[in-house]
Amino acid sequence: MAGNDQTIGAAPDGPRLREAGLARVWRWVVEGFAAAGTVLIGILMLIVCADIVARNSAGASLPLVSEAGALLVVLLVALQLAANVRSRRLARTEIFILPFTQRFPRAGAILNAAFDLVGAAVLGIVAWATIRILEKDLASSEFIGIVGMATMPTWPFRLLILMGFAVAAIEFAVRCIAELRNFGRVRT
Amino acid sequence: QETINLTVASSHPTVVPWVGFIQSHFMAKTDELLAKTGNYKIEWNEAFGGQLYKANATLSSVEEGVTDIGWVFSFLEQAKLPLSQASSNAPFATSNPPALLETMQELIDNNEAFRNEWESHNLKVLGLTATDLYDFYLKEPIAGIDDLAGRKISAPGVLGNWLRGTGANAVDGALTTYYTDVQTGVSDGVLSLALGALPIKLYEVAPYIARFDGGAVFSGAVAINRDSWDALPEEVQAAMVEAGKYYTVSHAQDLVSRHEFALNKMVELGAGQNPAVQIIQMPEGETAKWVSKLPDIAGDWAAPLEARGIPAKAFLADYMTRLREKGEKPARNWDQ
Amino acid sequence: MSPVEIGSLCVAALILLIFIGMPIGIGMLAVSLVGVSFIRSDTVAIRMMAQVANDSLEEYLFAVVPLFVLMGLLVTISGVGRDTFDVFERLLRRLTAGLGIATVFANAVFASITGISIASATVFSRVAVPEMTRHGYTKRFATGVVAGSSVLGMLIPPSLLMIVYAVIAEQSVGRMFLAGIGPGILLSLIFAATIVLLARRRRDFVFEADENTAAYEDLGLAAMLRKSVPILILMLLVLGGLYGGFFNPTEAGAAGAFGALVIALLRQSLDRKTFWSLLVETGQITVSVLFLILAATFFSRMLALSGVPRELAHVLLSGSLGPYGFLVFYLLLIILLGCLIDSISIMLILLPIALPVASAAGFDLIWFGVLTVVAVEMGLLTPPFGLSVYTIKSAIDDPDLRVGDIFRGAFPFVIAMLVALAMIAIFPPIATWLAGA
Ligand code: NA
Ligand code: NA
Repeated sequence: MAGNDQTIGAAPDGPRLREAGLARVWRWVVEGFAAAGTVLIGILMLIVCADIVARNSAGASLPLVSEAGALLVVLLVALQLAANVRSRRLARTEIFILPFTQRFPRAGAILNAAFDLVGAAVLGIVAWATIRILEKDLASSEFIGIVGMATMPTWPFRLLILMGFAVAAIEFAVRCIAELRNFGRVRT
Repeated sequence: QETINLTVASSHPTVVPWVGFIQSHFMAKTDELLAKTGNYKIEWNEAFGGQLYKANATLSSVEEGVTDIGWVFSFLEQAKLPLSQASSNAPFATSNPPALLETMQELIDNNEAFRNEWESHNLKVLGLTATDLYDFYLKEPIAGIDDLAGRKISAPGVLGNWLRGTGANAVDGALTTYYTDVQTGVSDGVLSLALGALPIKLYEVAPYIARFDGGAVFSGAVAINRDSWDALPEEVQAAMVEAGKYYTVSHAQDLVSRHEFALNKMVELGAGQNPAVQIIQMPEGETAKWVSKLPDIAGDWAAPLEARGIPAKAFLADYMTRLREKGEKPARNWDQ
Repeated sequence: MSPVEIGSLCVAALILLIFIGMPIGIGMLAVSLVGVSFIRSDTVAIRMMAQVANDSLEEYLFAVVPLFVLMGLLVTISGVGRDTFDVFERLLRRLTAGLGIATVFANAVFASITGISIASATVFSRVAVPEMTRHGYTKRFATGVVAGSSVLGMLIPPSLLMIVYAVIAEQSVGRMFLAGIGPGILLSLIFAATIVLLARRRRDFVFEADENTAAYEDLGLAAMLRKSVPILILMLLVLGGLYGGFFNPTEAGAAGAFGALVIALLRQSLDRKTFWSLLVETGQITVSVLFLILAATFFSRMLALSGVPRELAHVLLSGSLGPYGFLVFYLLLIILLGCLIDSISIMLILLPIALPVASAAGFDLIWFGVLTVVAVEMGLLTPPFGLSVYTIKSAIDDPDLRVGDIFRGAFPFVIAMLVALAMIAIFPPIATWLAGA
């Protein structure tokens, strides 16, 4: 994580200051999303425990817990994905790429940039296609829960999921640019 | 002979009777009809049992063309298929699956709002499905519905409504959790279908079956993606329509015999255990008593839909009227 | 090109991409997107991917993943994992390779309060590995033992994998849990035997230099009891709550996490800042795992569309193999797939094909589930994609420690699991006796 922040901050040319500022704002966005996801984990633990307590004291399940719990899982992943990309925690094998990058730094940088580009494209498509799902949720007033007992609309979850995937896609694009800049530096 | 590739899928495995019937009745009948002329042959790519999508995406998967043909589970599409929820929000209107499905078939043919609700999702309905009948599977026996007060009863989310007013506490659950929930005391019993209870061996932990034969419920449809449908030759379309009708009728008949079979099977399998499995036939009028305890579930369901301009009340009336015309005697006239 | 050919090409492409180091989840999404767009159309492919991203993780039981991880980390920070290890270290240090055996048994006990193997891997790579290297064990062996014994986390109940199997196979989660106890104990014993055997026959694999280069901290009886209390309380909470009917298996994670939180607070090992960074770490691990499940779901759906599993089943399962031939092929297929994809995805891909064959063959589906889980868990340890190994790598964060070394260290335990698998296959009561089948 730190290593890549340096890469961005250490851009040698003119608009460095402005870019560092932009980079800082962007980091704030990514970490803000991750923090929101982090809070959700605590909330998840609390609502599940509240359900256990309610059932053992009042005898009945709390409404919405299982449905909201399920949606929170999706939301959690979407919100924290960008931070995961940023800290390079996505699982991958290193059998080839590590020695290859050491031996051929420029080709390695291009390969890594290509991976990031694919990541940006794939997650970007997910975010873009989720717009349609959001529209359908809104059009049919999609909800979780049971009519007559308790219900909750799904669109706020959907909107956040969409934003999470979008931020992760942009983060991949940022990584890609950083890799290509590395490439430029090796060349000169 | 022209070969047509079609993917057929479901969220549930083929051991579920109405999913198995897609293979054994709908597909087989279609093949049989097409073989008569020999002009077309369908190469089925089967993806049953959640290989392509889960229970939470049965509608959108057919709609988006993830599969060509699939079973749409309307229980879990409360928002997108609101009118389809009528039967579970007007419980005990009928305990006769053939009459229920015949009614639903008439509605999809004649009730424009209902047909639109389905076909606006880029699909064509071919066959219809329903549940068998609901009974209570309990740890301790009951003599009537009053005895349920204070007990914790597992039920799938949607059916929690059926326990309102009975004094029983609804515990959210699913087929996969019932056995353990009852065994460990998370709940004291389950509101379940005989067809669901038998394979999970629920009778081992909940040997007292309080038999209500509580209402059959419309559960969904076998449907084909509209684009896939439009691309089919007329002969194939005609074969599928006929096979779909055959599927619906066979499935409805099967539900009746299978409910009885499943109950008897559980008594047979559980004869040796202690206490032995026992069916407690509820006295005459007990279902009516249960139904009278319920609040106006149908009204609670219809009101927010009416507010959105969906003709829920008219549809409910149409549904109930058609049932009564078939000689069914609803335990409560939810439309009146 | 026929769908089956497209599907096969996609598998080949994915193997290549994973090998050259593309993030696995991204590779699975990209390959599947291309595959579906050739099998059906661009529009379907895009909509299907969005649907997977929005619905595949929408499952209440997946909520246990962050909760089990959180519990694992809380238990680490409050020293419960270390204490468990200390107690076993004290008990077993006189044995040959006693620290290795202590790691196995501490893991077995720890397994009864956690439901996912990566929690075990995280805890013990921070507790057991430094201690073992201090005492002259090779890093390769130390991390290998931790990776190997981490599989106990999902064999001994509670277990995420068992929950997933029970859901897919429509079996009782409670009975699956009971069925895991016997095989869990068996596997622990086989692991211990493996360690002793290695220490005697392949000393250079186990030890750097001499075994006892460092002094052991002495632990009195009172200290040992004191160190045993927290884990016993947590076991009582999780297992007692589970079998006493206070909560269902999927809630065990939340209750355990809450209990671990209380213990951590009582032990004053948790200030606000540590707690926050713990939650952040929980999120990171959770996302790594769940994103993989998400991507693998798309991949398995693409495969289902292509018809590759059906062809595979046709070739491998429906021949003149007979039920036990089928079982052997099925387990081999799992182990093979385990090299490439994650545990839950393997079950999602194979079970829909295999379960009907298994019930037709008259197999007890609880026993079949235990065999499936053990075989699937071997994948946690096999290259190129072994989740336990990657977890250890990221938990230890030592640039000198190569992923390949951990894989080599874990290899003897893969063999040990194979032995256990054969024993359970030959003597089904190991699994089914407690489950009352
Ligand atoms: Na466990
Ligand atoms: Na592997």
